[in-house]
Amino acid sequence: MLAQLMLIEAALEQAIGPSAPNAPRPRSVQIDGQALQALDTAAALALVMKIKTITATGPISATGMQPAHEGVLKLVLQRMPELQISPPAPALAWRAQIGASAFSLAQMLRSHVSFLGRVAEAAWQTARRPHTLRVHELIAQLGQTGVSAIPVVALVTFLIGVVFAYLLGLQAEQYGANIFVVDGVALGMTREFSPLLVATIMAGRSGAAFTAQLGTMRLTEETDAIRTLGLSAEQVLVLPRVFALMITLPLLVFVGDVAGLSGALVIANTMLDLTPAGFIDRLHAALDPRHILIGLGKSPVFALFIAVIGCRMGMDVARDTRSIGIHTTSTVVQAIVAVIILDAIFAIVCQELGW
Amino acid sequence: MSVVIEVRNLTTRFGRQVIHDRLNLQIRKGELVALIGGSGTGKSVLVREIIGLQRPTAGDVEVLGTPMWSAAESALASVRRRIGMMFQDGALFSSLTVAQNVAAVLDENIELSPALRDALVQWRLLLAGLPADAAHKMPSQLSGGMRKRAALARAIALEPEILFLDEPTSGLDPITARAFDALLTFLNRDLGITVLLVTHDLDTLLGIAQRVVVLGEGRVIADGSIEQITAVQHPWIQSYFRSRMLLPTRGT
Repeated sequence: MLAQLMLIEAALEQAIGPSAPNAPRPRSVQIDGQALQALDTAAALALVMKIKTITATGPISATGMQPAHEGVLKLVLQRMPELQISPPAPALAWRAQIGASAFSLAQMLRSHVSFLGRVAEAAWQTARRPHTLRVHELIAQLGQTGVSAIPVVALVTFLIGVVFAYLLGLQAEQYGANIFVVDGVALGMTREFSPLLVATIMAGRSGAAFTAQLGTMRLTEETDAIRTLGLSAEQVLVLPRVFALMITLPLLVFVGDVAGLSGALVIANTMLDLTPAGFIDRLHAALDPRHILIGLGKSPVFALFIAVIGCRMGMDVARDTRSIGIHTTSTVVQAIVAVIILDAIFAIVCQELGW
Repeated sequence: MSVVIEVRNLTTRFGRQVIHDRLNLQIRKGELVALIGGSGTGKSVLVREIIGLQRPTAGDVEVLGTPMWSAAESALASVRRRIGMMFQDGALFSSLTVAQNVAAVLDENIELSPALRDALVQWRLLLAGLPADAAHKMPSQLSGGMRKRAALARAIALEPEILFLDEPTSGLDPITARAFDALLTFLNRDLGITVLLVTHDLDTLLGIAQRVVVLGEGRVIADGSIEQITAVQHPWIQSYFRSRMLLPTRGT
């Protein structure tokens, strides 16, 4: 029935039309409803609204209507005065928007720091009383963040190893310096690419998962239940996740090192005429273990930031479903930015220390 | 009175568990029917099967003369425009304001001038008993009772011929719940909307239901006015109504 409303509206427009400013306004309006076959409140509302545009205050009455239709019209006329259309609150001006975003960013960073403090406090408590560590949860998280991430990590780093060796090979071939491809790939993969790539994958995979898990628990009041049971949500939910990621990320970076170098080995064999034996021989000579250690050493720091941001954003979810999506997106963005900033800091520090 | 909902030999099984066993039900135009039954008797499932959200294992459902499980998608779409459903927790779109929730339904189906559209949105909110300042709030900013009203406003946005409600008064305080009952009576009596509601609320049942359908053992175990139902000798029905009689009554 409502589907015809646009036809009704157009017909009303034609029948009553826009009133000229000086046209005499009728004092009262009478509707002849004899031919009326159906009337719902939406159509009655459209009719009354249109009539109101030509008569300011005059009474509206009807003749010849069926009782049901008359009831609908009466209802609309009776409730119409209550109808208030308030415009939505105006959007902020662009300067105010910038200010508001800056404030909320500052507030978020501040609360990150205080959350980090709470996690550190919980970690200290756990260190003093190791039996309070949730071993089951930790093991479950190790499985989710570590074991099940191995395939995707290995695949991505293997392919990057292939691409990287191929690009270096194209350049090195011109100088007949094929063997130095190994130097470049070994240094690049172990020290920078593998930690950075794996941390980015884990920011998207585990960081987002932490936010979604804890956010859903906030929504169903599970985190509140944990608090009312006298437990600390940080200890029960956050610490196992932070520890798990700090343990698994270095291991996954090592997987990435191996897979990346394997990718390079495959492409070196087929494109650069470097035998696998020759590749590994050169690897022994060229790759200083210090590069591997620096790559592995910075990954727990990446893990700490990813896990804390993920958990923090999860615990901050408001009581509506939309906020989980917003927070999860924010987690991934923040975690990746944090990883890249940290990596830059590591690069500068290592450079200055001559590592 | 013409039949608007016809359920014939409906069977629903989840694995080995039989929910409905050749269930039959007819609802006529203009009725206000309450569907009751113990937990797990498939009240909500029945409603979902009637409105075409969940496919029954066997049997037919006809709504407004359209077979819901064999009609073409275009026929189903036009039936869906003529029915409204209010979900238990409202199921309001959380990224839209209350007014936008109602407007979304209108915009998907009809093209109106902005003035009439805004007036119509506000009119629906008014009919559902929401104050004007609630229009631009997000669903998460509303109380439980307000959220139910907003959900009702969205369900009646297209002025449906049949309105389905899943536990409309659950989680509301008695005062708000009775106001909601009055609202349903108004929609049924004054706007002529056929109402089918699933409820656990005895006050709703005693207050507004013209007809009560009791589900149990996979079928309809009783169907009729409240007086007829209370007279049925069935253990579940008897204990259901006795749970209220145990309460001390004052006055009259």
